[in-house]
Amino acid sequence: MTRNAVKATDEAVKQGKDTQGTDKGLARRDLFRAAGLGVGALGAVAAGVTATGGTAEAAPAETTSTGYRETDHVRKVYEVSRF
Amino acid sequence: MSSAVDHIVPPAVAEEELFRAQVYALLARLFARAPDAAFLTALGGLAGEGGEFGAALDRLAEAARDSDPAAVEEEFTTLFIGVGGSERTPYGSFYLTGFLNEKPLAELRVAMARLGIARADGVTEPEDHIAALCEMMAGLIGGEFAPEDGDTVGLDGQRAFFDRHVGSWAGRFFADLETSPSARFYRAVGAVGRSFLAVEARAFDLAA
Repeated sequence: MTRNAVKATDEAVKQGKDTQGTDKGLARRDLFRAAGLGVGALGAVAAGVTATGGTAEAAPAETTSTGYRETDHVRKVYEVSRF
Repeated sequence: MSSAVDHIVPPAVAEEELFRAQVYALLARLFARAPDAAFLTALGGLAGEGGEFGAALDRLAEAARDSDPAAVEEEFTTLFIGVGGSERTPYGSFYLTGFLNEKPLAELRVAMARLGIARADGVTEPEDHIAALCEMMAGLIGGEFAPEDGDTVGLDGQRAFFDRHVGSWAGRFFADLETSPSARFYRAVGAVGRSFLAVEARAFDLAA
């Protein structure tokens, strides 16, 4: 887990906690687990999504904290201004 | 209370959020183009972890093992590209209005601009293609896409985007795919997408 992923989800938790509370956060987690969305279920395929996310010439080699890599369809606009 | 949240929830939640982003990225990859031999092999090794979604993953793995790349490529073309009209039309505007490039696409473009997302150079397909929308969801969850003046998009923002642009039609698209006459491999992909979206919708309800 990279810093960014932790930061992003920490932020999601913080934004939601006033209305969401711990119980709802846990219920949400339990739901994902019960539904078979366990971490690691995608295994090597998750890496495969990154590795084969685009041909070298077609895709910018931008890998994010999620392993998600921009492929053919969309890109980020604010490359610099946010930092 | 906040200390309890900080100490108990974040690591677990972070893992689920990561997994959600990975599923969206996987769907984006599978609808952007047909999987090649190496990717089919990787998909063949998937093992679900129970539940309806896990069962759908198992069937996807089986379909991947039973498919050869050339056949899947041909299936992809027939389903989504096809000469003289594809079997399925994987665009939100089409599902929501019956026509391409209608108001839902305009609304999506407004939302994208707000979130710092643009169509990649060289892409001519409208932005409400299912692969593009799955990429956007993955990027929103991972924090890659965010409002220019903001930090990251929390669950509330993800839900707003999901409800309007994804949940409003993609479940029907995935279900249609499961019954498409020409679909073989993509029938299994449709089942993965439909079961995942159902969990997403329930999970957003829980967080509300």
